[in-house]
Amino acid sequence: MKKAVAQIAALVPIALLVFALYSLYAAPAEPPRDWRLHMTQEQHDLMVAPIDHAFRVAAYSVTWAIQLGYLAWLGLKWSGLKRVAGRASNQN
Amino acid sequence: MKKILFGVYAAICIALLVWAFELAVNAPAEMMQGDAYRIIFYHVPSATVAFTFFAISMAGSIGYLVLREKNAAKALAWDAWAVSGAEVGIVFCTVVLVTGPLWGYRAWGIWWAWDARLTTTLLLWLIYVSYLLMRRFASGAQMRTSSAVLGIFGGIGVPIVYIANRIPGQHPGPVFGGDRASGMAPEILRPFLWNMAAWLFWGILVLILRHRFELKQQAIAAAEAEQSLNA
Repeated sequence: MKKAVAQIAALVPIALLVFALYSLYAAPAEPPRDWRLHMTQEQHDLMVAPIDHAFRVAAYSVTWAIQLGYLAWLGLKWSGLKRVAGRASNQN
Repeated sequence: MKKILFGVYAAICIALLVWAFELAVNAPAEMMQGDAYRIIFYHVPSATVAFTFFAISMAGSIGYLVLREKNAAKALAWDAWAVSGAEVGIVFCTVVLVTGPLWGYRAWGIWWAWDARLTTTLLLWLIYVSYLLMRRFASGAQMRTSSAVLGIFGGIGVPIVYIANRIPGQHPGPVFGGDRASGMAPEILRPFLWNMAAWLFWGILVLILRHRFELKQQAIAAAEAEQSLNA
């Protein structure tokens, strides 16, 4: 059970990072510069909204990937420390 | 009892983060930047938390240097705060350095500019990374002393980053306490403050966990030293 929780804890940040990269990769391209000259502000805003959304999602995902990645790493170090402490008490 | 209190605190943190996320998603779009401005809800709080924790690390470093010859046990307790503040501060500073370019690309059309704010933040991050590397690879009694000195230098970097925001460059000026044009619309300010509180609570939670880990590590190291002396 503990092993499964540790594996999930390690996989979630990786999945979030992949999702963030995918959001950026899948974001539509910026409208060409010469198009913008013939567009109203509203048309332009509508066109760039999905790109803004993709960047926002990527930023949020990467924030949690870093935070949860650190927690998972700390958890791994903690379990290692517990093993060391257990060995030391057994020797005594 | 401590475990229950910690559990309650963790639950409050998660509830706050969910509430803050809900507010951030439903905040009105900004006139100039559309949806991309919402990165402010985790970029700015992360910077605030990082700088607060770097200040804690600096205080811990000063405490260690002052007490190391008078009271070794107390000095180690200060050192635990120093290393915890530095490490968790780096985590939040990394968030700042990753979300910043994502926001910058949408707002300015470029990922990075070598302007004062961005460069000083990167330098601050590098100082604290070198602090952790020193702690990881150096050994002996001098390790804590040298890293405490570096921790103080890092802490001095925090106000420099804050002042760098006022130097004209690519990065926008301060939103609060800047010129007359600075400030936030109340509809955006409310979710911003909730996000600020949520990330600060979360940061404190992670800091407590890291501090407890450091204390445990110190206890094991002390027990091992005692054991080898007795052998």
